[in-house]
Amino acid sequence: MSPQKRVKDSKAQKRTSQGSDSYQTNFVALEEENLNDSKCSLKHGQDNPMKDYGHVDDEAEDDLKRAMRYFEKGPVKTSQMKDKTLEKHFRTVENVAWKSGLAPEGIDILLNVALSGKFGNAVNTRILKCMIPATLVSEDSVVKAISWLCVGKCSGSTKVLFYRWLVAMFDFIDHKEQINLLYGFFFASLQDDALCPYVCHLLYLLTKKENVKPFRVRKLLSLQAKMGMQPHLQALLSLYKFFAPTLISVSLPARKKIYFKNSDNLWKTALLALRQRNQGPPPEPVKLMLGPANVRPLKRKWNSYSVIPVLNSSSYSKEYGKKGMALSDYLSSNGSFPLEQLKSFPQLLKNIHCLELPSQMGAVLNNSLLLHYINCVKDESVLLRLYHWLSQTLQEECIWYKVNNYEHGKEFASFLDTIIRAQCFLQEGFYSCETFLYKSLPLWDGLCCRSQFLQLVSWIPFSSFSEMKPLLFDHLAQLFFTSTIYFKCSVLQTLRELLQNWLLWLSTDIHMKPVMDSPLESTLSGSMNSVSELIHYVGWLSTTAVRLESNNTFLLHFILDFYEKVCDVYINYNLPLVILFPPGIFYPTLLSLDSSILNQLCYIMHRYRKNLTAAKKNEFIQKTKLQFRFSTKTYQEFNHYLMVMVGCLWTSRPFQKGLYIDHEVLEKAGVVEYKSSLNLVHHPALLSYAVSFLLQECPEERVSMSSIRGKKWNWYLDYLFSEGLQGLQLFIKSSIHRSSVPRPESINHIEH
Amino acid sequence: MSVLRPLDKQPGLNTATILLVGTEDALLQQLADSMLKEDCASELRVHLARSLPLPSSANRPRIDLIVFVVNLHSKYSLRNVEESLHHVDATFFLGKAAFLATGAGRESHCSVHRNTIVKLAHTYRSPLFFCDLEIEDFRATMAQRLVRVLQICAGHVPGVSALNLPSLLRSSETPAPEDL
Repeated sequence: MSPQKRVKDSKAQKRTSQGSDSYQTNFVALEEENLNDSKCSLKHGQDNPMKDYGHVDDEAEDDLKRAMRYFEKGPVKTSQMKDKTLEKHFRTVENVAWKSGLAPEGIDILLNVALSGKFGNAVNTRILKCMIPATLVSEDSVVKAISWLCVGKCSGSTKVLFYRWLVAMFDFIDHKEQINLLYGFFFASLQDDALCPYVCHLLYLLTKKENVKPFRVRKLLSLQAKMGMQPHLQALLSLYKFFAPTLISVSLPARKKIYFKNSDNLWKTALLALRQRNQGPPPEPVKLMLGPANVRPLKRKWNSYSVIPVLNSSSYSKEYGKKGMALSDYLSSNGSFPLEQLKSFPQLLKNIHCLELPSQMGAVLNNSLLLHYINCVKDESVLLRLYHWLSQTLQEECIWYKVNNYEHGKEFASFLDTIIRAQCFLQEGFYSCETFLYKSLPLWDGLCCRSQFLQLVSWIPFSSFSEMKPLLFDHLAQLFFTSTIYFKCSVLQTLRELLQNWLLWLSTDIHMKPVMDSPLESTLSGSMNSVSELIHYVGWLSTTAVRLESNNTFLLHFILDFYEKVCDVYINYNLPLVILFPPGIFYPTLLSLDSSILNQLCYIMHRYRKNLTAAKKNEFIQKTKLQFRFSTKTYQEFNHYLMVMVGCLWTSRPFQKGLYIDHEVLEKAGVVEYKSSLNLVHHPALLSYAVSFLLQECPEERVSMSSIRGKKWNWYLDYLFSEGLQGLQLFIKSSIHRSSVPRPESINHIEH
Repeated sequence: MSVLRPLDKQPGLNTATILLVGTEDALLQQLADSMLKEDCASELRVHLARSLPLPSSANRPRIDLIVFVVNLHSKYSLRNVEESLHHVDATFFLGKAAFLATGAGRESHCSVHRNTIVKLAHTYRSPLFFCDLEIEDFRATMAQRLVRVLQICAGHVPGVSALNLPSLLRSSETPAPEDL
């Protein structure tokens, strides 16, 4: 493989490929001719056919070449000239590095120079700081560089900087197998106090399951005992524990944390700018779905770069040069299947054993096939790499952390959209998004990227509610209460989706044994506790919101939508949980002026009855398994609500229990005859139906409400049902025994 | 010097008065402008003060809500608010006071840690809002939210009083975000 090929073929480089190409040729020629740099390169330039239109470029490249040469040769002894030339060459290299990045060969040379200790400390630092790759860093250069570390020619600070560089560039290293072989060496460097945090970070990125050995665990624990609970050591330990839970018995903080500070900012800004330039037009958002249709890009909405890297597997760019290779050749020669060629699900199935994930994990977000892959692959380090990348990127891109470029809002939103698409596709939330929310929700104004943010909330993985409440839900409540009604509605909708996701997760997970020793309560009752706390929390939000917005119909709809989910938990998800709505929701909906609200309430009551009776039945059948017996309080509450509803709507005897209003007061208010004023005929939500029913019956007569009784009552009911009040129909059918003699009927209580 | 009390004056008809206290004059002025732009049924009055106590002679309406604005980029701003707090009657903290921290986004510029202000707000049992007032969009949403709170404090939202607010807007003493 020649280096030119790689540079040329790498998609990202297309725009600059011409320039790099000529640089390569020059560079090779130079090595043959040795020394006398300025002269020979000039000569070469004359030979170069591209000179006519690429003169300026060529000159810059020559300069770079000369600079490389200079650095490679080492410092000149005569110190007077030295500073000047050094400075000049430095400027050349830095210019190129920050403008377009350095080719892998350039990085190779500079790494060598910086770590071999030819120059002084200051120079080494400066070299390391400008080592920005154009596309990739070759693994060989890294290995070579590490071998320099063993010689002990470079100072501690250079070493630290090198490790920081390595961590920052980790995603851009083309292979990691060789580096992983040096695991032991890195591990030994943990001893060095100054290096420890950075080496920890590197190991965190590098560790695979087979690297976790008992002796390493012992060493880490003794280090921790010596240095105290350092976040970086904790990170590594928790990773080890993740891979080999049996080896580590110490308890670590359960929550996922951000262990590593963004200390590599030195290069991050340059890399972002670089990626922006190199990437060309952003990868079009791909609709995630099964089958080959997923490669058809959607129409792009705006011109912008994306923070999500493009797929770029090293093996592909290497082999691409040999045209006309058959698929089998790929498999036999290389052992790994190039990701760029992965287009269909059958292809994925065929090659699932030999896929090599991209060096930049973020790329998988845009590729549904790879998402399938990471979903089923056993190697947890893959997910950890993805999470790590996600946390970093979310943190860096989040707009209210970079006040100055507020214009990035759109890009950030589209990035979040991509993440959400991936989460929906996998039907699970990423932990990095959860931590990101914890950190940034308190700073959120509730407006920018609202739909994305709320969707992220709805994908929070299931865990203990009481632990999450102070981190997230208290802040959400504050936003909820102080924001507009539309925000309140969208929050309620989000929480409904969250509940649904949790319930789905629990209902599929409950039948399996606990696989991981997850931090949350793994028992069923613990999980149910968490869900019921969420429901009570929403009940609290809703009750207050109804007061704040003075019984707004729109809001009530969203609240009842939530309870439509809640009332069916037992039957739909097969989970032992029935929680009724609080009175603060029940009464405003019962007395609402809107017939659809009343209808929805009736439907929910009907579903509650179904669920409660089903639970009762099961209790009788499986007498042995009584751990999830619903308390009689739930039944009592339900029966109370039922009595009130039937009393109001049907029997015209409202509020028999628990509510007493002095007769005098009623007299003063002019509503002595209040008893029938909430029945199906006079209820404010249904009055208009009654009137139009009467007009339809006998258009000529004077309308008299009280005439709806006896047979007419039944016709009226049929009229209501035909008008689309299905909930009411279900409710009356299940809760009221309609005898052939009009009234009084009996209410169907649930015995408790 | 006089201590500010919430109920020492009669309320004005349909007026709601907010007092913004903080050293960032320009930001306070901008926030006040944004608030006055809000469409709201009550008549809004916004008073600005660098620090408390207020001059005792002035003829001012009843104050329904005090918002202490702290710029996290300046220690002086925090100290100023801490000193001003001494001149406020305890009953104000039954829902008629709030803290607003600006500048939390740019962590590198912060000279006051986020947790310091979280603790302060917690000590005074008052809600704490975060908002980068320098950015117009954020400021506008914050203004909108403050107006809603103010209307409750002034008693213009039926069924809810300022006494409800501490329990509704309570921000629990969260752990430092670094620990996350």
